[in-house]
Amino acid sequence: MKPTTLTLRDLLLASLVAIALLGSCQSEKAEEQTDQSKSGQRALAPEEATGQYPYRRLSTYGFFEGEMAQLDPSEKLIPYQPASSLFTDYAMKSRFVMIPEGEKAQLVEDEIELPKGSILVKNFYYPEDYRKPEGDRRIIETRLMIHEEKGWQSYPYIWNEEQTDAVLKIVGGETEVRFIDKNGKDQVINYLVPNKNQCKSCHNKNEALAPIGIQPKHLNNDLKYDSGTENQLAHWTKLGKLEGFTGKDNHPSVINYEDHSQALDDRAMAYLDINCSHCHRAEGPASTSGLFLTFDQKDPMKLGINKAPVAAGKGSGKFKFDIVPGHGEQSILTYRMNSTEVGIAMPEIGRTTIHAEGVELIKEWINQMK
Amino acid sequence: MKEPPLFQHIYMRKFAFHFLISIGLFACGTQTTERSFDSTLLTKASPEQVEQLVEDFILAEDSSTIEIPEGFYELNTQLILDNKSAIRIKGAGMDKTVLSFRNLKSGGEGVKIVGNQISIEDLSIEDAPGDGIKAQHTDGITFRRINVTWTNGDKSKNGTYAIYPVQCKNVLIDECIASHSKDAGIYVGQSENIVVKNSLAFGNVAGIEIENSDNAEVFGNTARDNAGGILVFNLPGLPKSDGKGTKIYDNDIIDNNHKNFAVPIGEDPNGNTVTMIPPGSGIVLLAAKEVEIYNNRILRNKTYGVAIASYQVTGFPAEAPNWSPYTSDVFVHDNQYERKSFSIPDFTREMGQLVTVHNAHGILKTQDIIYDGIWDKSISETIDSNPMRICIQESGMENLRFTRFYLMDGEENIQSFKDHELFQNCKVNVQTNVSGIAFLNSAPIQ
Repeated sequence: MKPTTLTLRDLLLASLVAIALLGSCQSEKAEEQTDQSKSGQRALAPEEATGQYPYRRLSTYGFFEGEMAQLDPSEKLIPYQPASSLFTDYAMKSRFVMIPEGEKAQLVEDEIELPKGSILVKNFYYPEDYRKPEGDRRIIETRLMIHEEKGWQSYPYIWNEEQTDAVLKIVGGETEVRFIDKNGKDQVINYLVPNKNQCKSCHNKNEALAPIGIQPKHLNNDLKYDSGTENQLAHWTKLGKLEGFTGKDNHPSVINYEDHSQALDDRAMAYLDINCSHCHRAEGPASTSGLFLTFDQKDPMKLGINKAPVAAGKGSGKFKFDIVPGHGEQSILTYRMNSTEVGIAMPEIGRTTIHAEGVELIKEWINQMK
Repeated sequence: MKEPPLFQHIYMRKFAFHFLISIGLFACGTQTTERSFDSTLLTKASPEQVEQLVEDFILAEDSSTIEIPEGFYELNTQLILDNKSAIRIKGAGMDKTVLSFRNLKSGGEGVKIVGNQISIEDLSIEDAPGDGIKAQHTDGITFRRINVTWTNGDKSKNGTYAIYPVQCKNVLIDECIASHSKDAGIYVGQSENIVVKNSLAFGNVAGIEIENSDNAEVFGNTARDNAGGILVFNLPGLPKSDGKGTKIYDNDIIDNNHKNFAVPIGEDPNGNTVTMIPPGSGIVLLAAKEVEIYNNRILRNKTYGVAIASYQVTGFPAEAPNWSPYTSDVFVHDNQYERKSFSIPDFTREMGQLVTVHNAHGILKTQDIIYDGIWDKSISETIDSNPMRICIQESGMENLRFTRFYLMDGEENIQSFKDHELFQNCKVNVQTNVSGIAFLNSAPIQ
């Protein structure tokens, strides 16, 4: 951010900082009383990279070179990007994986197993103006998933207003975000940082924390690297970081739902897969519903066609079935996507706004069903 | 009226606080927003205390206790206990420790529990936008003296389930209170080995519901002032495809005449089966298997005391793998019935209209037991051989109002019969074994 003139926004930011500081002062006081090692004062103290995760400060990991806010990855990190992206209130994301020196990921039976010590780094940020996404931006949080001895662990780090560092905050948080959308309209979002255990609401495979984006189906596609464009799994292989990749056609691949040149059916299934199937699959927490939304789902009942809800409560609205063929507007699927009310809105966490483009896509898809 | 001991206790001690905000009488049912105590009188926990509580859940170590001192905790994030073993969560009392989720901005439930040998005791949960407390994939889950409720005057804003174990094993719900949920107060789904006892469910759409579950005993409870008192359902298309073995005994199932507020007044039922339950329902069996109902007091439920129904009555597609839409192997005996005087059955729901108009005893007559008479024709051509094994042995059966319907030739050809004799000379041996849950009963793990 270039502090040239004092604008209303700067004032607002300043007051937000003040409020945030006020808040942290209070929590510091509480820490003194309870002698708990949390955020606040201790987080600001210097910290050494002992190898004992998690660190209190994001900077301690040394993921980025130069100015932190540039998110310029060190050589240890490989950038990655799933073909389709989970909608999180229009936040933009930059993702990196760190695989320990001398170790390799294994691709076995359409799963990628990352070695212990691997770290996934996912940064959530908002450009000030979506018409110029490469321009000034505000990074809100960085979520780490660390593959520890006892399995995957998740750690949310919240960035400071100065954008110089982020601090571990396992209880999550909430912050107001302002930006200009791609149509030039001012937007305000009440952004929610999940608490540590909420991460597993999505990252859940048979009740173990698990990565979502690191699956062959999401990464079996091209990405632009500094060295040129290349299939991501082929790139990892070339770097000596992946074993088991035998060529694009030998592994599943989900398309990018934003790619309008693709078939509607494929786009809709890609959308449902990345936005819903982490819960709505046999291994996910929403298996209770019997609604399974992975991209390769073919069983009409599991897909929700003329399927009555089970425990949807007010999420059902006025409607009888998850999908009523030919009637996107009468389907529970779109009703829940099109709501921000807690108890109705789906997904249950990760958004406080409606993904208008997503709702349109799924409506269109249901409308053309017979 | 029999209430759980602790509830009596609260009644006595907190009598001054106990009030009925409003009880209204509507054409389609009564409505209550009764509260067990007034949580607004408690001291508010500080933001630091609230944050501490969130952190205690996240950082809990196996074999430990999370104590939640007296206070009113306003949470804006979920409390999640994840993959822990032998944890006891303990408040200072239902009327002392209150977790309010009124300000929750995302998340399907207020409290979520996953793990093994978990107990949660002595606290209240209020105003979760979705479900109150949910336990999933947990082996050994005890809810003891917890009160889960909603305090909205407008009940259409209330959440779905109050106490919600799903895909669990060895579930004990003891001396709990569940009220004002828009679906079921106590809902046990896709689980096995279940005891629901000495609890109170009131002001919900459904009081207590056992769904797609095996081996359940429901006893010593009071289900009053709900639209439906106690429900046993099996729904199609779920990972746990069917359920069997439920005993319902020694319960008070009383005055379940609350309006069905699962959908707004005047709106048709949606795809949630519970939206079809007519106010005035005592016990409802839907696609249920192996159920014994005995020694209950089934009193003043204005539409019917017990309904035995197959899934076809919902009108929804009734085919799914490893699941049968028929209710079968039911034994109803030795219950006490009392019909509500000066009242008529519900007519807001199809099942209510069926009773109101088509029962075998005359229009507008409340029924004690109804059977939809839908049977599997691949077993028998006629119902005379009692192919679904529905057995009813109530004393003074001749004084009870029993209707068997015939619904299998469409709405234009509905018939009804008083022929209880067809179902009277048989027994069903329903097997349940919940002895494994006894250990959950003993002093909590430390």
